Amino acid sequence: MSLIDVENLTLQFRTDEGLITAVDNVSFSLNKGEVMGLVGESGSGKSVTAKSLMHLNARNAVYSPESRITLHSDAGPVDVLSLKKPADLQIVRGGAISMIFQEPMASFAPAITIGKQMVEQLQLHSDMSKSQAKALSVEMLDRVGISDAAKRFDQYAFELSGGMRQRAMIAMALSTKPKLLIADEPTTALDVTIQAQVIDLMKDLVDEFHMGIIFITHDLGVVAQTADKVAVMYLGRLVEEGPVREVIRNPKHPYTQGLLAALPKLDDLDAPLTPVPGDIPSPLERPSGCVFHTRCAQIVGDVCRAQLPVADQVDDTHSVACHIYSGGAA
Amino acid sequence: MLSFARFVLVRAVMAMITLVIVSLVVFSLMELVPGDCAERYLAFKNTQGSGISVADIEAERQRLGLDKPFLQRWGTWIVNAFQGEFGDSCILRVNIAQLLGSKFWLSLGVCLASLALAYLIAIPVGIISAASNNAFLNNSLRLVSYLGLAMPNFLLALLIMLVSTIWFGETLTGLFSKEFRDAPWGWPKFVDLIKHAWLPIFILGWSATAFALQTVRALMSDEIGKLYVTAAAARGVHGRRLLWRYPAKHALGPIINSLGFDLNRIFNELPIVALILTLTEAGALLIEALARSNDQQLAGAIIFLLTASIVTLNFVTDVALAIIDPRVRKSIMR
Repeated sequence: MSLIDVENLTLQFRTDEGLITAVDNVSFSLNKGEVMGLVGESGSGKSVTAKSLMHLNARNAVYSPESRITLHSDAGPVDVLSLKKPADLQIVRGGAISMIFQEPMASFAPAITIGKQMVEQLQLHSDMSKSQAKALSVEMLDRVGISDAAKRFDQYAFELSGGMRQRAMIAMALSTKPKLLIADEPTTALDVTIQAQVIDLMKDLVDEFHMGIIFITHDLGVVAQTADKVAVMYLGRLVEEGPVREVIRNPKHPYTQGLLAALPKLDDLDAPLTPVPGDIPSPLERPSGCVFHTRCAQIVGDVCRAQLPVADQVDDTHSVACHIYSGGAA
Repeated sequence: MLSFARFVLVRAVMAMITLVIVSLVVFSLMELVPGDCAERYLAFKNTQGSGISVADIEAERQRLGLDKPFLQRWGTWIVNAFQGEFGDSCILRVNIAQLLGSKFWLSLGVCLASLALAYLIAIPVGIISAASNNAFLNNSLRLVSYLGLAMPNFLLALLIMLVSTIWFGETLTGLFSKEFRDAPWGWPKFVDLIKHAWLPIFILGWSATAFALQTVRALMSDEIGKLYVTAAAARGVHGRRLLWRYPAKHALGPIINSLGFDLNRIFNELPIVALILTLTEAGALLIEALARSNDQQLAGAIIFLLTASIVTLNFVTDVALAIIDPRVRKSIMR
């Protein structure tokens, strides 16, 4: 059953240099209890896409009229992008959707205790009393493996270690029992050992709470461990999407292939890493045609420079947007 | 709670130590002025027509205790200073505490009132303007701010006096009406003071507000862009709560921190405004003592009182900061 549907999401930012396209015609959907990895380099538009689900982008964001995001909540479908009033937005902000951020330190207000921020959120989204909200918060802190939860409740973010902060962030995000959790590079700022703990914790919680997760990362290794399916983004375009095993074993798009080749291999440590050549272009100079053609090693002809590839189905669940696979190109 | 009391005590002791060190610096500077009180007084006498000899100077020096070693004189000075006793003025030969009278407190009062006025306006306006993306509002605020920063205080004072003299026939000078100048303190005198003091307070507050507005706005814009604000919005916090409880609360710390510096700046601007409005206040006396009569005793007393006020204000802001910011509080309680 579908949890959230994103259709033709196109998002531009109004800036002094003109309109900058951050997301270009992206569509995907996520089912209940499903984990999706959203993968791409910095600047690929993955965070912006995720923030759109909560209608949380900066004030200069412009959505195209065709863009549609539908959240299937318990109370029926919600057209996210049409929500205007703060009270209506509550459902996608902390209600049915929660988000955890890359920097657990920076995402807690430094001069407010963790407990107060948790209680505030619970009281915004339910009719709990303060003491009920506190009891639940302490329980959640305990649930994510924070020792001495009652004491941590009254502490500030700066008094906790990095891993503990991210656990507290997860506890806070899950306390309102959201249907969808957006995790924006939740492990990037953590030590590798802590990373594994946090990933395990998140996997347990998905099973327990049965929610959907969108896992934003640039690390395909993390995606392979956690996700059911993966969507690869490049310069605001969705270039490949499919079940995680299928995409990792049988990547179709040259960019996905490049990302996989760039990962170090534990069984052959002497093998040189092959980075994707070049840098992601400035959003001010979007390439014509296929946005990846400036860095692509497998250009099939002028069609790559002139024409935007459309998504082709490799099979039922796996799709790729590349001229190599579209009929006329070869 | 106990550790907080200890923190306050430690800070108070540190403030005292700062004052003692400052007093040493002030006293040394007083000594650096060529000649001493005895020479200066007798030289002054000389210009009045009385003949003097070297022996006269020596006798005067002994009478004033100036022949004693430096450290001993400093010790006596600082002990007296802490009791509000600064000895006699070099030239005028009257007790400094009497000479200053309530002038110093009036000056301090005017400065503090300007400071309060500045932040009462700057904090709400700065916060709202940082939070709003209304270009017209922000540009007009910026214009007013720059006017406040760019227009010298004395010019503003002159303009206001010009206008009031021409249109209202009032000169608006001084801090008191004639009949109250030497009257004992009481409610009517206080009301009279307010009637006069609003003008220097307004003029000093004008540029202070412009300055504070820029500070508050910049700090607030900085806080609003931080991730914890986005994260709070992502949790459904919205409206006024999102503004005041999150970025505004966190921007307050650095604002409180800058109060001591602001008081100093306002006090520095006071003399020139006082000159134009013919206020008899401590700043004008300080300039007189420093620049004209070389009255080191008087100048030293005023500088000491001023630094004492700033040290006290810094002590108060330190404690206030510890109350509002847990990071400061926790760091001192370990």
